[in-house]
Amino acid sequence: MHGRSAVAGIGESTYYRRGESPHTEFQLACVAIRRAVEDAGLTLADVDGFVSYRDERNTPVRLARALGLKELRWAATPWGMGGNGMAAAVQIADAAVTAGSARHIVVFRALAQGEFGRYGQAGGSKGLHGGPMTGSLAWNGTYGILTPAHQCALQTARFMHDHAISQEALCEVALACYANAQRNPRALRYGHPLTREAYHASRWIVKPFHLYDCCPENDGAAAAVVTTVERARDLPHRPAVVLAAASGIGPPFGVFDRASLGSAHYRQVGKHLWEHAGCRPTDVQVAQFYENFTGQVLMALCEMGFAEPDGVEEFVSGGRLVGPDAAFPFNTSGGNLGEAYIHGFEMVNESVRQIRGDSTCQVKDVQRALVVAGPGYAPGSAVLFGAPT
Amino acid sequence: MTRVLGERWAVPTLDAHTRAFFTSGVLALQRCRRCAYIQHPPEDVCASCQGFDFDHFASAGIGRVESVAVVTQAVHPLLAEQVPYAIALVAVADAPGVLIAGNVVGREPDAVRIGDRVRVVFEDATDPHSGEALTIPQWVVTDA
Repeated sequence: MHGRSAVAGIGESTYYRRGESPHTEFQLACVAIRRAVEDAGLTLADVDGFVSYRDERNTPVRLARALGLKELRWAATPWGMGGNGMAAAVQIADAAVTAGSARHIVVFRALAQGEFGRYGQAGGSKGLHGGPMTGSLAWNGTYGILTPAHQCALQTARFMHDHAISQEALCEVALACYANAQRNPRALRYGHPLTREAYHASRWIVKPFHLYDCCPENDGAAAAVVTTVERARDLPHRPAVVLAAASGIGPPFGVFDRASLGSAHYRQVGKHLWEHAGCRPTDVQVAQFYENFTGQVLMALCEMGFAEPDGVEEFVSGGRLVGPDAAFPFNTSGGNLGEAYIHGFEMVNESVRQIRGDSTCQVKDVQRALVVAGPGYAPGSAVLFGAPT
Repeated sequence: MTRVLGERWAVPTLDAHTRAFFTSGVLALQRCRRCAYIQHPPEDVCASCQGFDFDHFASAGIGRVESVAVVTQAVHPLLAEQVPYAIALVAVADAPGVLIAGNVVGREPDAVRIGDRVRVVFEDATDPHSGEALTIPQWVVTDA
């Protein structure tokens, strides 16, 4: 087990529906970072590193100037990843602080899609506006396979076919996220519960995905301060220790590979995470699974070792994911679907809250809290937080 | 045949990787000259022997639907009249390691199933820059 770094502080901006932020994306990033640093009992001058992911637009030197850092010693992102890099960003910060490359690294994600346009929409694809149709736009876009929803629907359809999984299993994931969000005043879906009837009545986006199977797109920022465990022990909050982190894929390495069709590409991540952590899925008290699409969550649950594909529908059904006393406490803040889609970073903060004991959906006696980043894309990543020993 | 997603829908840019697949009038898959490994989509390097030298294998284009989804919400104005349409991943019998993306025609989109037998057909299009004729592979459900 690793356990040499920890999250000492967390913060977030107010979360907004897409395009409704009154602030710029850079302002949102600065708010979340400032709050995380204050929560850690530090000052901005103590921060000496930044890590983000998903081609974060708010660059480290610009942040260092605006936030008044004394010096910047570390700046990195995992290679070209999307939401699948969320936990890998924590992994990079863990490596950097334990190597002594920096002392207090802020890991964060900020997005204001009103300001910069949407991620999940084909309109962002240059080739559809007279630019070149090359790479995956040629191979897939030519056929109208344009968005993450389209790609993930093809993976989910095969998984459902191979394991006799019904639409209800996807519905259960969405219902659990919305139900847990009803306890969380930060959540954009707070006060907006979802019923099974409303799920089934919602429009299809791409079958087998209804509207509620697809994450919304939101504006906001979330941040966490990573430092060494020794340093974190001197700070006000109970440290959320990074017990283990893993990222990777395959083989096979393709997103559409015949040998891994119907997969979220998380087998390798699961194998290495549990080996590194020296524990098993049953040793985890609470887990956050990035929902880009509900079907991908089902695959990731299996590949991370929590269920067998032929039993995953039963695993998620009958309210087994709902509330702090759930059989499997899951996405306790509401996740991407219920709390806010901050490319999953809100799940890092929720895991820290679970370790501290101050979640709005607090599970009893949390010793280990798991975060699994965006499934269906690669390299995937996951991080296991633990209570200090 | 006419284009599945309409005559105005975007066409692939022709380059070293795409030209054979989208213009040769057969299902042309990239094959390594050294080890005969077939890979799709094409790459600069053979994933089996790391060779750089390729030709193309003309598949008979007899295949099976490995996955299918039905796009119901248009994500581009040019597709507003085209939804619902079936998107699929197809494996062909004579190059079983690869998956080929495409649309499935000849059946209502909702009636296309994983396991359906399909054969390749080609839609005609024109490259707007060079005027070159394109033959874009598509898939039609066969009864057998």
